[in-house]
Amino acid sequence: MNLRILLVEDDREVAACAVYGLIREGYQVAVAADGRDGLLRASCEAWDILIVDRMLPQLDGLALVRMLRAGGTTTPTLFLTALGEVSDRVAGLQAGADDYLVKPFAIAELIARVEALGRRRQAAIVVNTTLRAGDLEIDLLTRKARRKGEILDLQERELRTLEYLMRSAGRVVTRAMVLENVWGFHFQPRTNLVESNISRLRSKIGQASDQGPIETVRGIGYRLHA
Amino acid sequence: MRKIQADLRASLHRIIEAMRPIGMPRVVLTSSFRLTLLYAALFGASALVLAALVWWIATGYVAGQIDSAVTTEIAEERADAGGTLAGLQAVIRAQAGHASPAAYYLLQNRAGQVLAGNLPAMATVDGIREWTLPSGSAVRGRGVAAPEGGFLFVGLAASDLRELRHAIGYAFLWVVAGTLVLAAIGGTVMSFGVLGRVEAISRASRRIIAGDLGQRIALRGTNDEFDHLAASLNAMLDRIQVLMEGMRQVSSDIAHDLRTPLSRHRQRLELALLDGGTEHDLRATLASSIVDIDAILDTFGALLRIARLESRTDPPPFTEVDLGAIAQDVTDAYRAVAEERQQSLDCIVDSEVAVPGNRELLAQLVANLIENGLRHGQCDTAMRILVTMQDGAVVLCVSDDGPGIPAAFHQAVFRPFYRLETSRDVPGTGLGLSLVAAIAQMHDARVTLADNNPGLAVQVVFGRPPLPESDAEPEWLRQAQRWLHRRLPEWYARQATRGVHRAWHGVAYAIARFRQGRGTVAKPRNADQHDQDAR
Repeated sequence: MNLRILLVEDDREVAACAVYGLIREGYQVAVAADGRDGLLRASCEAWDILIVDRMLPQLDGLALVRMLRAGGTTTPTLFLTALGEVSDRVAGLQAGADDYLVKPFAIAELIARVEALGRRRQAAIVVNTTLRAGDLEIDLLTRKARRKGEILDLQERELRTLEYLMRSAGRVVTRAMVLENVWGFHFQPRTNLVESNISRLRSKIGQASDQGPIETVRGIGYRLHA
Repeated sequence: MRKIQADLRASLHRIIEAMRPIGMPRVVLTSSFRLTLLYAALFGASALVLAALVWWIATGYVAGQIDSAVTTEIAEERADAGGTLAGLQAVIRAQAGHASPAAYYLLQNRAGQVLAGNLPAMATVDGIREWTLPSGSAVRGRGVAAPEGGFLFVGLAASDLRELRHAIGYAFLWVVAGTLVLAAIGGTVMSFGVLGRVEAISRASRRIIAGDLGQRIALRGTNDEFDHLAASLNAMLDRIQVLMEGMRQVSSDIAHDLRTPLSRHRQRLELALLDGGTEHDLRATLASSIVDIDAILDTFGALLRIARLESRTDPPPFTEVDLGAIAQDVTDAYRAVAEERQQSLDCIVDSEVAVPGNRELLAQLVANLIENGLRHGQCDTAMRILVTMQDGAVVLCVSDDGPGIPAAFHQAVFRPFYRLETSRDVPGTGLGLSLVAAIAQMHDARVTLADNNPGLAVQVVFGRPPLPESDAEPEWLRQAQRWLHRRLPEWYARQATRGVHRAWHGVAYAIARFRQGRGTVAKPRNADQHDQDAR
């Protein structure tokens, strides 16, 4: 891992919690306690990922990210904030952030999203027309999925779900991430929506158990084996 | 919650303070008084201009008469004189002899000696002059050069002219003074009237604040701006009453419904503390505590969301969304869940219906309704989502043949935390329908429950796309545009139509903005759409 993360957060407990979780995963984390300090460090030093709180003393998180983007910094940025409404999220993404996580968050959720951002940073910009992970394969042009060479009969959404899992192969994706990326839903379902769809997808690809290509990571989410 | 109530009261008090009782100094501060002063100044100025005009014309006429008579006479006398000073002298003597006492003559030679006439010697100045004689009479006449370096002056009495001037001036002085006095009196009377009306409204408002929020300000029935103000204030009071009622209810509901899981939680933790047990047990307790707390956080989150939607601060971005597509997406997502529960889920989209709204919120609305149906229904329950047009309005209908909700509770279930007795054991927060109602309200839609015989049918009827009336183009404008297109070459017609469109929508927009004061009116989209069509 060894990716360098800058966390700009004034709440010490939240910061300590996040730092603990990230260090355990092998990231190098530095913390800035206010907006101005954060902006300074973000623009003067090289970081792989930025995690910014929106409500900051000295300089507001939105303004911080906007200034960074205007200055040409393309570091993947995650907003961490108690403001969870639709308009807040839209404003955050428009300011230049790549992802948005609402407090209170589960550490596992934070780590899963940070991993996704880190992957984005490392991946070369190569346009593949075929996605491959393990014995699964998706031809993006014809929108057909195969396992061990056999064509799978998947509907569009199921294909999208499989595609998302394959693009994040090897990493954990949380239920919220699946909901957001596959369906564009930003709410917490009161039913086991994601679970049902994943189990349906599993049966479609011929997976009998919890462990197959699509693995359930208890309490966190899912992971597709690379 | 209490803080919000306190804030509401504080702002209402501020409004009332601004409408304090009338004192004398307040009269001159009213805008009506200032307006009256302005009008008085304008009318006074107009009267002055009129006076000046009349003065100038009337006196100019009379003076002109004198001047032309004098000039004619001078010409005659010079003609009679035959070009010599002596001849002129004879003529003048003759004239002065039998002319009326109102005529004045003077002929003096180069040296300034008076040769003829009834005026004393004067300085030789050419042209029209007017002055007062030592005897007191006014003279107006013309002086010209006479032969051999002399000077001839012929004039007429100007006392009439002077009197005319005085009369006009005097009259208009009274006019202007009268205008100003009348304006001041009128302004004061009007201002007292205006302030009286305002004071009546503020008194009523103070009564309402002090007493109960159920009273309203009386309208006088004149349908003037004060009645409109009173009506607006009444509407505002209605809304405040609804909000305060809601808040009171939610406060007590929250307190009640969240204490239970929190106390359960506390008991469990306390037990774990006392009982000890292995580390494994403690970890299990901590894990289940987190699950519990997550549930409570969810509830709070939903409450916050509902509150923010209802208060309409910071509205989410709206675009034209395809309601049918959203319904299909959500239904597809939930099909897997329905299958697991052996329920069926079906979506029928009648037509391409576009609604101004926010995709996320509408997706949540549909999802909440579907989840309700799935959770409260049993095996073999069938749910149907229908998106269609009815009477020109977009309708979303989610119906099932499950247990349904008795008609008596159709209003109550929208309240936060309300659960039917029969569904107490079904997991849920009781906030689903409240959120649905809040999202619907934000989209100008109405939610109604109906009996599906058996089951429940939830109907969400979206209002017509909000188009201020002045925005729809009238038929004559459209015909004019068609005429333009027929008569002019293509390019010119397009430019002309675009110009007409822009002008029309600009005016409509300005009118709508003026009507809504400083409120936000979306720039009419049709202007741009038409431009694109025209291209």
